[in-house]
Amino acid sequence: MHKLIIIFSIFSFINVREAYASAKEAFEIYQSDNSNEKNKKIAHELIEGQFYFSAIPFINMYLEKNNKIDQELESDIETLVLKTGTMAVLNLDEKKLENFSIPSISLILGTRLFNKENYKKAFEILSKIPETHKFSAEANLINGTIKNLERSQIEAAQLYENCARKSDKLEKNSSNEKLKRYYNYIKETCIIRKARVKIEDKKYAEALEIYDLIDKRSYKWPYILLDKAWANYYLKDYNRSIGLTMTYKSPLLESYFFPEAEVLMALSYYSLCLWDDALKVVDHFYEYYQPKAESLKEILGQNKKSDTYFLDLYYAETKTREELNPFIRNLITQTRKQIKFNLDLSSLKASKEELNLLKKLKNKNEFTKKLEKNLENTIGFISKKINTYIKKEIFSFINEIHKHSYSMFNLKLELFSKKRDDIYSTRSNEEIKRARGSENNITRNSKQYFFDFNGSFWADELGDYSFGLQSKCELLKSE
Amino acid sequence: MKLILCSFIMAFFSIVSAEAEDAKDMVYKYKEYEVIDLGSMEIKGQIIAPGDLTVNERSRKIFERSLLEKSNFDYENKREIENLR
Repeated sequence: MHKLIIIFSIFSFINVREAYASAKEAFEIYQSDNSNEKNKKIAHELIEGQFYFSAIPFINMYLEKNNKIDQELESDIETLVLKTGTMAVLNLDEKKLENFSIPSISLILGTRLFNKENYKKAFEILSKIPETHKFSAEANLINGTIKNLERSQIEAAQLYENCARKSDKLEKNSSNEKLKRYYNYIKETCIIRKARVKIEDKKYAEALEIYDLIDKRSYKWPYILLDKAWANYYLKDYNRSIGLTMTYKSPLLESYFFPEAEVLMALSYYSLCLWDDALKVVDHFYEYYQPKAESLKEILGQNKKSDTYFLDLYYAETKTREELNPFIRNLITQTRKQIKFNLDLSSLKASKEELNLLKKLKNKNEFTKKLEKNLENTIGFISKKINTYIKKEIFSFINEIHKHSYSMFNLKLELFSKKRDDIYSTRSNEEIKRARGSENNITRNSKQYFFDFNGSFWADELGDYSFGLQSKCELLKSE
Repeated sequence: MKLILCSFIMAFFSIVSAEAEDAKDMVYKYKEYEVIDLGSMEIKGQIIAPGDLTVNERSRKIFERSLLEKSNFDYENKREIENLR
């Protein structure tokens, strides 16, 4: 243990020394160099010393005045993109960024244009990234999404296929654990997209086969349950659709809650002509989601102007979040699993560490003070960005509930109408004798298991549940 | 000529005042009781369809409410990209 501490201390000492040397170099350039490349050189020295966030303003200042990017600068920008994400060229507008065609800038610009719904331009910019470059997998994913939105399904499927193949290769070739996980995430996203294209093309059975490629331990797995439930719903396997949406009720998937899953469950019961069961789901939706969404809205309204409230909530103890609103805890857990959030969070941590390193430098001067001030601003900006992100996630969730309340309302009216028809035809539940569930009503293929549900969820069974309810529709028709 | 005109005017006024006096004395009386024998009523016309009087059964109006459909994954796909970087 002592040895480990000594090795760690030596390692951090070397790091500080290297950082100090680079900061000294940067200071000398800052003082003596008056050339056009001054900011570029300072940024390079800072990147060498691992002061990535401190280098951002200098890179931005250089690119603001120059359109030429040499090999060294290209490599520096790529390092910055990997270490700081989209912040590398944060201060440059789209018009300026269009002048550069290096892959790292093309990826940032393409993503920015996509988020602004300028799909045509985004596709054009992202297509500039060479097929052999490590960013091309991500570029294929975004371009595939653009084609998907345009309903060019064949092109979209091809781009998703390229993305899955490239990210698989990158994952296998990468030695960094974090990068491996990132490429795996991209690969699985692209596989899921291929399945979604199949669903959109009404090839449901083929889609279900693709979904089976996703491992149950994957980050993406809980999200595909809803997709699979829709595919089964359209295949008229309503029992499996109910089983899949029911999986979200298991304690292991407690933090994953999708109002849409509730609507789909009710729709599946409706399609089995089980009006009462469907009504129970609808009523539960209104009783459970609505009051909690209202109180969430209140929390959002009270703190909408705060730049730190939601970030503080993230750092708060689980109990505090639970007491405030049970959804907050689940929403934070779900948010934590998003890549953007994790990148921003690690950027915040890294920039704070960088500030500490700067403060440890011995010879303080005008240059180091400037770096510290810039870094403090950057930390403030990232904090605000994360705070806004959590706020946006909560807002999207409330919107989802409202959207699906409308679907549930329509379904409820439809259910009342069906029940009224039953009353007019003097039918009642007692008259229609039906079995509540049987193994005979389950359809399954060779890859699907059969488990009995004995009142508790088992991790290995999750995602394979199917109800065995008998449809009432045939009985109603025959009367 | 003037004499004829004067006599016409006088004759007109005397007729009008006589009518007004008649209307003052008039008493309006409404029927207090009337029996309508529906059984003896007849409808004249041609029978164009056999059988009794029939009413066509009107089919019940079916309201089709739009239930949730999943035709695409645009919302999820866009959000995934937004959450990437």
